[in-house]
Amino acid sequence: MKQGNLQRIADELGQAWTVIVKDMKVYYLQPGMVMFGLFMPFFMFLSFSVRREMGAATGVARLLALTTFFTAAAAGPFIIPLERRVGTYDRLLAAPMSLLTLLLGKTAVGAFFGIGVSAISLVVGVAAFGATVANPWLLVAGVVLGSFSFSALGLIFGSIPTRNPGDVQMPSTLLRWGLLFVSGVFIPLAEMAPAAQAVAYFSPLTYAQDLMNHSVLGTSVLGPWVDVAVLLASGILFLVPSLWMHRRGRRLGY
Amino acid sequence: MNDAIEVSDLTKQYGRPGTGVLAVDHIGFQVHEGEIFGFLGPNGAGKTTTQRMLTTLLEPTEGHIVIFGHDLARDAYAVKRQMGLVPEESNVYTELTAWDNLMFTARLYRVPRGERAVRAQQLLETFGLWEKRKVKAQDFSRGMRRRLSIAMGIIHRPSLLFLDEPTAGLDAHSVRSIRDLIRQLKAEGTTVFMTTHQIEEANQLCDRVAIINQGRIAAIDTPERLKAAFRRVQSVEVALETNRQAHGQALAALPGVTTAVKMGDKWRLYTEDPSALLPQVMDYARAQEVKVISLSTLGPSLEDVFLEITGQPVGTVQPQPQQDRPGRPGMGGRR
Repeated sequence: MKQGNLQRIADELGQAWTVIVKDMKVYYLQPGMVMFGLFMPFFMFLSFSVRREMGAATGVARLLALTTFFTAAAAGPFIIPLERRVGTYDRLLAAPMSLLTLLLGKTAVGAFFGIGVSAISLVVGVAAFGATVANPWLLVAGVVLGSFSFSALGLIFGSIPTRNPGDVQMPSTLLRWGLLFVSGVFIPLAEMAPAAQAVAYFSPLTYAQDLMNHSVLGTSVLGPWVDVAVLLASGILFLVPSLWMHRRGRRLGY
Repeated sequence: MNDAIEVSDLTKQYGRPGTGVLAVDHIGFQVHEGEIFGFLGPNGAGKTTTQRMLTTLLEPTEGHIVIFGHDLARDAYAVKRQMGLVPEESNVYTELTAWDNLMFTARLYRVPRGERAVRAQQLLETFGLWEKRKVKAQDFSRGMRRRLSIAMGIIHRPSLLFLDEPTAGLDAHSVRSIRDLIRQLKAEGTTVFMTTHQIEEANQLCDRVAIINQGRIAAIDTPERLKAAFRRVQSVEVALETNRQAHGQALAALPGVTTAVKMGDKWRLYTEDPSALLPQVMDYARAQEVKVISLSTLGPSLEDVFLEITGQPVGTVQPQPQQDRPGRPGMGGRR
């Protein structure tokens, strides 16, 4: 590879990191988001455990999948429309970096937030409820890959050509809550009807939940490597519609 | 002289042809290296749309843009490295301090690590923001945010700077400091492409101006040549001792007067031949036994040229938001 290309790659990685640090400071480390990140796992866990016959390990597996799912895609859908509205997104689009670099930076910052909050959930699950983890490395893989996949999913909504965050709120919320009920979180995948299972296979949350089950409980339906492969592939594939919508936005003037 | 920007057949159509909006209609122009190029036009004329296409933020429907020899459609990366952008809205990150805003931009443009802090300090001192470097931009005034936004636009020392309405809505002190900075950037060799609807600002700053109206370039030249080409909007300005409305009607009826406009305590009489009109005004004053307080001839101002080109009647002087002009709005070129 030519020296110039290596320099370009190094520059783009540096720029993606710059976007990550900036978004962390501007959006994710704000008091509201920190409070959300700290308290959301507790409320999630309480909502699962109250009046349910559920072991600590099962609860932690579900809690981790849910926490990753909700936090990694929490802000992504709203940040880009907000930045478009106040004009700061133009600063990023006009900078000497590729659109893919920008979107990777935006995806990574959501994923990092999801990973951080999931780590808190894990500590709470292990320390407070005595849960044990059967396969820690798969758990790390599940949290990391799940966070990237869900963050990239949220970014699709953020890429809709609009300057109004409200325009993306309804569709992104509907999709997230819809996925929650078809992904083996409330009803285990093995207990679903065949038709419901067919739907569940289209949800990335299904594979994250299955991987969490395997890593915490030691059992899964699909197998950990299928889960890892699908989460990895979906994290990459979800960038495609975002790229397409950004190009459409450039034609439309957003 | 080399061209920094070459634009040919540039077009932007929103929606479908026929039913959509043709915002920019097959325009072409060149911006020479090292010049300040003003892009003037009324609201909705296509100024910002053109600038957004030049800065890669908007995809043209047709046409070519070449910047420093690079085709923008094929090699935007090479162009982006050399250009700075300061949009009309001061798009600073209000949650960050002035210092963090500058460091973010420096990192984004890959300013060498060892130079970032030095350049940031220089710019903050130049713009009078050094004492406020640890203050979040949300606590800044509009003028301070504008200065910070410009500092962010030039921290990587671009060869080509795009400025959109650089002094709109600012106080006189900020306007003056920003205009001085633009002149300084030109002196250092930076090419400046500036969109503005403040005609007097273009008159003071720009080497050449293009006037765009309804998506088409109506004129491109130096401000002085444009003014010289529009001799028909010369005028005679007269102040009479008694300031009666009847004077205006009588003066407007004098031979050769195309338009008469009351400007404060004076009447401005537009004519193609001021020298022929002057004695008639004096004759009128003598006949009415009214004393002439002042009488002068005026060459066409850039604003007159602008109004003429954009199809608005001369004399319909619009109030300008600019705040450092104590005199009459739009009155340049007194001769």
